[in-house]
Amino acid sequence: MSVTKACAYHFNVNLMGRAFLRLQRWQAERKAATGASRWKSDYLAPPLKIAPRTKELVARHWLQGRYANLNRKVAWVTSGAPVELLKALDFYVLYPENHAAICGTARVAVDIAAEAENAGYSRDICSYARTDIGTVLSGKTPVGKLPKPDLLLACTNICQTVLQWYRVLAHHFNVPLILIDTPFVYYGEATDHAVEYVKRQLEEAIPVAEKVADKRLDERKLKQVARLSKLASELWLEIMERNQHQPAPISAFDEFIQMAPIVEMRGDAATVDLYAALLKEVDERIARGISTVKGERKRLLWDNLPIWYRLRYLAELLAEHGIALVASTYTNAWGELAPLIDPERPFESAARTYTYPILNRGAGHKLATIKHMIEAYHLDGVILHSDRSCKPYSIGQIDQRDKLIRDCGVPALLLEADHNDARVFAEEQVAHRLAAFVEMLE
Amino acid sequence: MQTPPAIPHRSEAIRAYQERGGRIAAVLPIHYPRALLRAFDLLPVEVWGPPQVDVSYGAAHLQPYVCSIVRNALSFLQTGGLDVTDVIIVPHACDSLQGLGSILIDFVHPNQPVIPLYLPRGRRASDTQFLAAEFRSLHRRLEEITNRSPSNAELMTSIRREETADEWLAQLHQRRGQLPLTDVQLYRLIRAREYLPAEIFSESARATLALTSPPPPGPVRSSFLGNGGSGPTLWPPSLVGEGLGERWHKGIPIILSGIVPEPMSLFESVAEMGGLVVADDFACCGRRLYPRGSSDDPFQHLAENILNAPPDSTRGHSIQERLDHLIRLTRTSGAKGIVFYDVKFCEPELFDLPILRKGLQAAGIPSATVEVDIGDLLSHQTLTRLEAFLEMIGHGWR
Repeated sequence: MSVTKACAYHFNVNLMGRAFLRLQRWQAERKAATGASRWKSDYLAPPLKIAPRTKELVARHWLQGRYANLNRKVAWVTSGAPVELLKALDFYVLYPENHAAICGTARVAVDIAAEAENAGYSRDICSYARTDIGTVLSGKTPVGKLPKPDLLLACTNICQTVLQWYRVLAHHFNVPLILIDTPFVYYGEATDHAVEYVKRQLEEAIPVAEKVADKRLDERKLKQVARLSKLASELWLEIMERNQHQPAPISAFDEFIQMAPIVEMRGDAATVDLYAALLKEVDERIARGISTVKGERKRLLWDNLPIWYRLRYLAELLAEHGIALVASTYTNAWGELAPLIDPERPFESAARTYTYPILNRGAGHKLATIKHMIEAYHLDGVILHSDRSCKPYSIGQIDQRDKLIRDCGVPALLLEADHNDARVFAEEQVAHRLAAFVEMLE
Repeated sequence: MQTPPAIPHRSEAIRAYQERGGRIAAVLPIHYPRALLRAFDLLPVEVWGPPQVDVSYGAAHLQPYVCSIVRNALSFLQTGGLDVTDVIIVPHACDSLQGLGSILIDFVHPNQPVIPLYLPRGRRASDTQFLAAEFRSLHRRLEEITNRSPSNAELMTSIRREETADEWLAQLHQRRGQLPLTDVQLYRLIRAREYLPAEIFSESARATLALTSPPPPGPVRSSFLGNGGSGPTLWPPSLVGEGLGERWHKGIPIILSGIVPEPMSLFESVAEMGGLVVADDFACCGRRLYPRGSSDDPFQHLAENILNAPPDSTRGHSIQERLDHLIRLTRTSGAKGIVFYDVKFCEPELFDLPILRKGLQAAGIPSATVEVDIGDLLSHQTLTRLEAFLEMIGHGWR
């Protein structure tokens, strides 16, 4: 790294950027303290106090990314990838899926995806992929600029789509693509040969990543990163489990926003600190009797990815009826595997941990998870988001809904939409279906 | 014109196999170890849809954005189409087939045992080892189901029989220009590999190839059948250009690429428009020209067969490997263009298309895309598109 580049990086990120983001946070916290920061809806609790801090942390991550090519090697990875290896090698790690979700929340995803569609990418492929390919082709992004990758890491434990997507990225950027292929777990346990296969691939990934990073992997550092990953995942799980309390202190909509660090900054000390503070705030809410929905009457579970461009709309619509969305299989996925992480055996435990995400397990397992959450969180119903862009999460939902209704007597609604493509969201139809569902809950 | 041998229909093949005491395995797309199933006296009969079924049964379990191959297969199962089978094998080719396997196991519970099979997406040593282990696991499941336990020697005999059939299959692909068959007749024969016992398929292929002049001495025994994207040329010019029949010169030569050529009337339509299919890159056809394995271990050998097959979007090949393969196929077959004939909602295929088409364009090879639902008849729009493409590339061809 040249001195000029180092200076440019530190000036933009650590001096100007950090100061600007701190100022933004200070202003937001001040606004919250004076009571000026609140939702338009009278039915929702005030926003989380920690929200400005989370926003600062996430914004800083993307700011570092904007200038990362100046001073670090950059890896683009899938959200379920064993990132600890790359963190230990000091890669700046970028999650295209998170970037796409930011685009969705900022309601610019359709415009950016259109760039990919104009280049020939079908509207029938995942809208996250279309969004990011659109950014790659056009440079359009709400985070300023994405750094070019030196390495790609795709792990198939969330879908096969990521491999198709990363093959496109590998072709475009002409950089190495590490594949961690995680055989799908159809039955209760992964086979021994599947776990051994994943472990071997992790070991084979080391020399490739080391070559790109131009440094050797320090096992102590790897263990330390794994330790931080485990800590953050445990805290995240605890935060979610606090919603077993009635009324719920936070909503799944809050969790969708607050989950960004556990995905894109897993293995960082700052993530552990943030979640420790969030847990404290949630406990304070419980102690003070603050509920995420004022006058909570019914409690629901959300299955599948959120509809990023309609989070507020859905939160307010449900809150008006006294309905709190208190749990989600999606956010739960980032905490439920915490017990499997063993920092002292980073490869062995990673092979197992990264084989077992809910998306890499059978439809029956997901139904069992939903049933367990219904009990644990005292839920009255389930909304299954039938997500056109996520087949592995969505296939099986029709049977899951039928089983929940027939076998468990739990009302369940299948809601057709797409996590990032607003063109698929039929607002009036959704409103009618939700209204009918709410009536059924009464 | 000499008459090619009649190809037994799927139901006839199943009945004949059962009458001599054998059992039937329904197999979903795409790659699986045929020889392993046959060693257990299970005849693999592949289920690519099929096209003409009442899709409402599948729609009771699957959303409308799931591809028609998977939706139709489930409908077919639920309307009794697979009642003649004793076991269902679900290879993992994509998220939709993964989902189908999962809901069959967890929710639909067919009468037959359902066995999933994971296909690795790489071609590293670890992938071969894993796939061999996966086949050993399949072997154990089949032992439980059939109460048979074929030895390694029996398995190797079965492998050799299948490899011979694959070599005859490759001959059909390569010598198609000399055969007295229309495209639809040729592809009916090629696709009979989806359900005929290897020995019967080999005999049909041999008899058909005997109609060429000069007849082939026997199946091709070389390693060029599959190259994994980096080996020797898949289609040696010496074979492709050799003694082309008269028919070869009467059509605009094209390549079809995609998953499956359904409905099969596609070939008749292409012929009526003046086109001629000189090679294909279909997942059910040209991407399954499996080369011989080399290992003495039967499971490792079977893994080599599949992992060394031509590039395939569902097996993790890079887009460059696919592009190189298509360009090579075009050059050696004399094709003037490529039609990507894709099933709607097929992500593995759709992701590759823009880069493939751009690369082909840079190489001076025109291409067109059409999307179909295998349950539908070819739409007027699709036919018009095909016709326009053929007209475009046919201009100046004759």
